[in-house]
Amino acid sequence: MYIRIENANKSFQKAATRKQPAARVDVLDQINIDIKENEFVTIVGPSGCGKTTLLRAVAGLTGLDSGEIMVAGELVTGPSPDRAMVFQTFALMPWASALRNVAFGLELRGVDKSEREEIARDLIVKVGLKGFENSLPSELSGGMKQRVGLARALAVNPKVLLMDEPFGGLDEQTKRLMQEELLRLWELERKTVVFVTHSLDEAILLADRCVLMSARPGRVSEILDIPFGRPRTRDVERDSTYIDIKQKIWEHLRASQIEEMTLQSEGNVH
Amino acid sequence: MSINRSELRSKHLPYVLSLVGGLALLEVFARILDKPYFPTASGVFSRLISLFAEGEFRIDLSRSLQNLFLGFLIACISGITIGILCGRYSLIEHVLRPYINTMVTAPSILFVPIYFVVFGVSRWAIVALIVDYAVFFLIISTTTAVRSVDREIVEMSKVFGASERQRMRLILLPSATPLIFAALRIALARAIKGMINGELLIAVVGLGSRSQNFARAFDAEGVFAVASLVVTVALVLGALLSFVDGRVNSWVPDIRRKG
Repeated sequence: MYIRIENANKSFQKAATRKQPAARVDVLDQINIDIKENEFVTIVGPSGCGKTTLLRAVAGLTGLDSGEIMVAGELVTGPSPDRAMVFQTFALMPWASALRNVAFGLELRGVDKSEREEIARDLIVKVGLKGFENSLPSELSGGMKQRVGLARALAVNPKVLLMDEPFGGLDEQTKRLMQEELLRLWELERKTVVFVTHSLDEAILLADRCVLMSARPGRVSEILDIPFGRPRTRDVERDSTYIDIKQKIWEHLRASQIEEMTLQSEGNVH
Repeated sequence: MSINRSELRSKHLPYVLSLVGGLALLEVFARILDKPYFPTASGVFSRLISLFAEGEFRIDLSRSLQNLFLGFLIACISGITIGILCGRYSLIEHVLRPYINTMVTAPSILFVPIYFVVFGVSRWAIVALIVDYAVFFLIISTTTAVRSVDREIVEMSKVFGASERQRMRLILLPSATPLIFAALRIALARAIKGMINGELLIAVVGLGSRSQNFARAFDAEGVFAVASLVVTVALVLGALLSFVDGRVNSWVPDIRRKG
């Protein structure tokens, strides 16, 4: 297995509020997921199910209480250049041009300027931003910013691409366009991708497998195989299997979401 | 620096009109009042010209400015350095905070006797007071500036493998720069106050002593001439700072333009 998440547990102390006493919340509860090399896995679940925490743990940004995560045979103990991340809020440096943002990972590694800019220019063309090399993030639209974020992640040529609701902040049209772009890019350069989302369509359209999580405690409730071939287009959305899978995910999500709401309203009674 | 028409209209023209109008008002008011303690603008101006003709006055001015530059430079370097360290390492901040808070609140004048004893009647006593006026405010502002860095960008730099030094140089510093520049302008104004107070209280030299001598002689024109010179120095240095600010921080989106 390329990425092996084994018995991952993590909880945090939730501070007391006026309505609820302090409590320990299990964000991750015995998570086990195996991901193959060059596999595209999406993680979908209700808010608060720990999907982002899980992704951050794989990135090495946050530790586990117990359990372990192996990537390419190595135990994750901290961030590594092998694992690049794409952020929901883009996390671009507002003072740096698109080109410099894309080249940032290489700059950190001490790749010299002409070489890293050549790589960055290449990727900027690949993600469809030719002509915007010298633009500042504030001059780019949300979709363009995330193209920069994606190019930055690809620039370091990582083994694993971690994407944390990368299109969550974009409007519907842009989001759909970006999903198609990602499919296209993934065909050009297959990587192992872990993609967190709360969009059902995204979770199916992009994935080889889709991990369903439930909240409080954050658990893996099911892992679905997405049986559509590659290269893939949006046409699969009309497939009856697609509709069945979407239905299944929705039923799961609705159940956990309702449960979550009930828990919260019970909490409010105290 | 290009000045376009609309900027001229919306920014520079009102500025100049306000200045000219204010001076004209003062002139008229002073002439109506006709009292020696309220000099006319024109009188102050001609007095300034004649002062400049004196070689000694120019020496006083250059002495004062040298003290100002020295003090401000020391305040900038140490203030920004300590501020960055406080912003980055909370232990350093916790250790220094009581002293910084004390010093920024206490009137700097209180410490004049100490500087006097330590440095004697020398330039350095004044420079110390200038540093005192500017540095603590700069430390606090820089600490806040470093603290206000976008968490996500810090996180991003960790993911992409930034070392501690790289994070400082490539993330914290550029992100804090706009706020640091805003603080520099206020620190400069404070440094100028420190310079004048130092010259009044410590060593009897420079523009401060000039002003004091004029005041003793009930020479209002002289006092105002020195004051307007100080203001002019402050404005010129402030403009210089904002020019550099515009260059360095050109990436900061101008919200006024969008609004």
